[in-house]
Amino acid sequence: MFAYYVNLGLRSLKRNPALTALMVMTIAFGVAASMTTWSVFRAVSGDPIPWKSAQLFVPQVDNWGPKHTGKTGNPPEAMSWPDAMNLMRAHRAHYQSALYAISPAIVPTRAGQHPFYAGGHAVFGEFFPMVDVPFAYGGPWSASDDAQRARVAVISSKLNDKLFDGANSVGKTLNVDGTDYRVVGVMASWNPQPRFYDIVNSGGFNAQQEDLLLPFNTAIDLQMGNNGNTNCYESPKQPGFVGLMHSECVWISFQVELDDAAQVAAYTQFLDGYAREQQQAGRFSWAPNNRLRSLPEWLAYQHVVPDDTRTSLLVALGLLLVCLVNTAGLLLAKFLRRSAEIGVRRALGASKGEIVRQFLIEAGMVGVAGGVLGLLLTGLGVLGVGWVMPHEIAVLARIDTALLALTVLLSVLVAALAGLYPTLRAAAVQPAWQLKSN
Amino acid sequence: MTLHPILAALRKHKSGVVLIALQIALTLAIVCNAVFIIAGRVERVNRPTGIEESNLLLVTQQYVGAPTGDDEASIDELDSRLRRDVAVLRQLPGVVDVTSVNSVPLLQSAWNGGVAIKPDAQFSFDSKDFSTFYFLDDHGLATLGAKLVAGRNFKPEEVMHKGFRTSIETPVVILTQALANQLYPDGKALGKVIYVGGSKAPSTIIGIVERMQSPGLGQWANSFAWNATLIPQRMDAAFTRYAVRTQPGQLESVMRAAAPALYKADPMRVLDDDGGVRSFAQIRAAAYQGDVGMAVLMGIISLILIAITAAGIVGLTSFWVGQRRKQIGVRRALGARKVDILRYFQTENFLIAGIGALFGIVLAVGLNLWLMQHMAMQRLPIALVLAGVALVLVLGQLAVWVPARRAADVPPVVATRSV
Amino acid sequence: MLKMTHLSKVYRTEVVETYALRDFNLDVTEGEFVAVTGPSGSGKTTFLTIAGLLETFTGGSYHLDGVDVSNLNDNARSKIRNEKIGFIFQAFNLIPDLNVFDNVEVPLRYRGMKASERKQRIMDALERVGLASRHKHYPAELSGGQQQRVAIARALAGSPRLLLADEPTGNLDTQMARGVLELMEEIHRDGATIVMVTHDPELAARAQRNVHVIDGQVIDLAEEPRFHALKAGGRE
Repeated sequence: MFAYYVNLGLRSLKRNPALTALMVMTIAFGVAASMTTWSVFRAVSGDPIPWKSAQLFVPQVDNWGPKHTGKTGNPPEAMSWPDAMNLMRAHRAHYQSALYAISPAIVPTRAGQHPFYAGGHAVFGEFFPMVDVPFAYGGPWSASDDAQRARVAVISSKLNDKLFDGANSVGKTLNVDGTDYRVVGVMASWNPQPRFYDIVNSGGFNAQQEDLLLPFNTAIDLQMGNNGNTNCYESPKQPGFVGLMHSECVWISFQVELDDAAQVAAYTQFLDGYAREQQQAGRFSWAPNNRLRSLPEWLAYQHVVPDDTRTSLLVALGLLLVCLVNTAGLLLAKFLRRSAEIGVRRALGASKGEIVRQFLIEAGMVGVAGGVLGLLLTGLGVLGVGWVMPHEIAVLARIDTALLALTVLLSVLVAALAGLYPTLRAAAVQPAWQLKSN
Repeated sequence: MTLHPILAALRKHKSGVVLIALQIALTLAIVCNAVFIIAGRVERVNRPTGIEESNLLLVTQQYVGAPTGDDEASIDELDSRLRRDVAVLRQLPGVVDVTSVNSVPLLQSAWNGGVAIKPDAQFSFDSKDFSTFYFLDDHGLATLGAKLVAGRNFKPEEVMHKGFRTSIETPVVILTQALANQLYPDGKALGKVIYVGGSKAPSTIIGIVERMQSPGLGQWANSFAWNATLIPQRMDAAFTRYAVRTQPGQLESVMRAAAPALYKADPMRVLDDDGGVRSFAQIRAAAYQGDVGMAVLMGIISLILIAITAAGIVGLTSFWVGQRRKQIGVRRALGARKVDILRYFQTENFLIAGIGALFGIVLAVGLNLWLMQHMAMQRLPIALVLAGVALVLVLGQLAVWVPARRAADVPPVVATRSV
Repeated sequence: MLKMTHLSKVYRTEVVETYALRDFNLDVTEGEFVAVTGPSGSGKTTFLTIAGLLETFTGGSYHLDGVDVSNLNDNARSKIRNEKIGFIFQAFNLIPDLNVFDNVEVPLRYRGMKASERKQRIMDALERVGLASRHKHYPAELSGGQQQRVAIARALAGSPRLLLADEPTGNLDTQMARGVLELMEEIHRDGATIVMVTHDPELAARAQRNVHVIDGQVIDLAEEPRFHALKAGGRE
């Protein structure tokens, strides 16, 4: 029976090619616009570390007070150096790392090559197991490397290709800003988006690769500049890097891993205690005002998904809705025009169910055709998304089987939904009607 | 012509009418908001920065293994490197003027801070007296092409230099008109003093420029987009920027020559292939890529919407015409003129589009309110909604023209034939 | 085969109730060829739509082939239409998109028959109406008489127990009408029960029995001709 209905559907669709083309194109455009914008939305709204995001937390300590935080009373989004160091020293989480963005110059050993930037972060050794950084060669540096301010480095496989032709470079020397570092690890391909451990400085998405990770204390020792935001409510009292370190300026990101609710509660308590300590010491003249957000909460709080991406998806879905209504109207016209045929089929013994099947299959065929054209348009859309979206976001959109499958599925679903009401109207055509009108 | 038969016919085709009206309503709602977004972006992108954007380029570089710039000696060392770089660039053929600068409009990298007319002002992020700080020298105004509307430019002897992390202290400043008026609403800012970035020492306002946009484009930076404080200082750090004005037509050649000349003076530096030397046009394109893209995307979606809705009207009206051929034939036989039939379908479409548009106004405003609540969106101006209503009504009339003409061409003889 | 007892059909609107059939009694036995006649508006078409299970009735009872059909749901009624009843319409009601073969196939499709059996039955039916050679033609390529023959073939293909015909020659010229009628008589001779609605007395005369319907009621002409004349005169 299915084949019979497909055959009938084909005949019907072929009889009015212009109308059929219009419906197919309507569905294809609506679905392609939705899927293209969704591919971007999916890329920016995805969980960058789904297996662990519930255990990762971002603490905030209010070192500015109500006078400087403004009406919202939200504590600063980054940390001052003293607070970051105190939290590191207390070591109350399973893993923790203060970190800040760096972009030093790498000096190639080969003659004739100019120095180039290597973007990355200064982190603690615990950072690597905390965010599950994959390694191709070697591994993280040790806690004693952190303590001794060792000149060690972890580099990306891309940087490793560039400097060491992709060979195992563990133990080799790397010249960063004129200082030699020993390579201890080479990361396997790793480029989490959004850059969840440093939202404040990346804004979420960063087309730049994470090329270089250096020990936090080492970078501080060498007074390596912060390649991100520094927010101050007053100028540091002392000049220079040391002045920045001892100021209330905030410029350091912080991330901790807490494995269960008890640890979360304990850490919240610890933060409160810490703020109270600072209050007693006279540094804070206000009650503790801390936050401890899980990674998903932090990403939402930081509006990592750009408004434009969400608006685009919303408007595209609106377009899809119009396409659905449009297709419903055209199918209604097309189906009711065949009232005579339906009446005869009903008189000849077709049950309502048979009529429903016949017309839903016809609508579904429009959906399949729309889906095939939609696939093509979605493909073009995703490839062309760089024209209409910021570069760092556009590069994240990709075509995969899930996207393709969903495109066809959505097309058929839209066509079926659009065909539902017209089909029910068709099935309601009385078998007697035809006899009477003659 | 009376509306009665039309209304009766509409009642008979209730579901078709509802579907078209709904489609028109949704189209109106979405297109209104999309066009509003486009208008907002176009306005944003077309804001003049206040500088002369053509024949302008920016060099961004970083010395490798340079001193930190935290002590006097290293600041002097960095300053001498900076002045040498400026001299190198100035000697390139085709260069008109050069200034060292910490940032330029639209660069999205800024030093912002509070400004006040009294010392010891407290700042929070709610304060409105924020300004961006431009550190440049006596060639700054000429190089950037900012227009001085009152007072004078910095004198060479007023240009000082400071380490990157040293706090701001300057005896003289030039403000943008917007900032000057904000601080001194009486319009007499020239010659008065301000306190810059929490500095205890006063700075005298010696000049006012017409307009100079801040580098930032985010929501917060946008709230003080026209507040700029120009400070006559070279900022000494490993990381430096130079703005270069070239002769007309020489921009490309200067862009090509800049990096090799700087490398020749000192190879121990990073001049990124992508961002080391950029024309202002490139900076502008990068800054507004998202806005232009959003406008283009909204435009594409609006066009698709309009095309689909128009095609839908043509399709459904054609069906109705086909269905009513006999009826039309009878009317023609009873003396209706072609123009009467044409009118009939036009009026019918006008009614449906009108109902859809009324509903669409509600939807458009509703969607706008939702966007305002959940995303950064302004209130939809009512004029735009009315223009949208006019658009869908005209669209409906254009779309109905083809099937209505076909209806008018139904010969009266159809009345005598059986279906 | 077909038994209607005190059957009534009322069309209700907000203001009026119209009886299309009232106290309608008819008993057609297996193998009979009955002509139902009557002036237009008398209710004969309503009778046929109810007999064919195309419409429900308001009161009374209707047994078809021994089955009480008054409380059947839509699906069961469709099944009976499909398996037991063949329709021949005045306007042929062929589906213009389908060729002759496919048109005849329609009722068989809903019966879930194997393709080979369908083909056999279709070709047999078309053979019988003399149109086997035209099975690939579309309705628009055939004359009115040929179209009606296809419609008859479609009605026959399912081997129905009951054939319902509504003015089967109404749209045909005399020559073609004669051919169609001969075909129907032949089908009757082969054992089918036929109920034919017509207002053509000449056509009605070919049937075994004539049933006259006036104002929604049955008047058996053979028994009460005068009464009919009186009533007709009084009411019309």
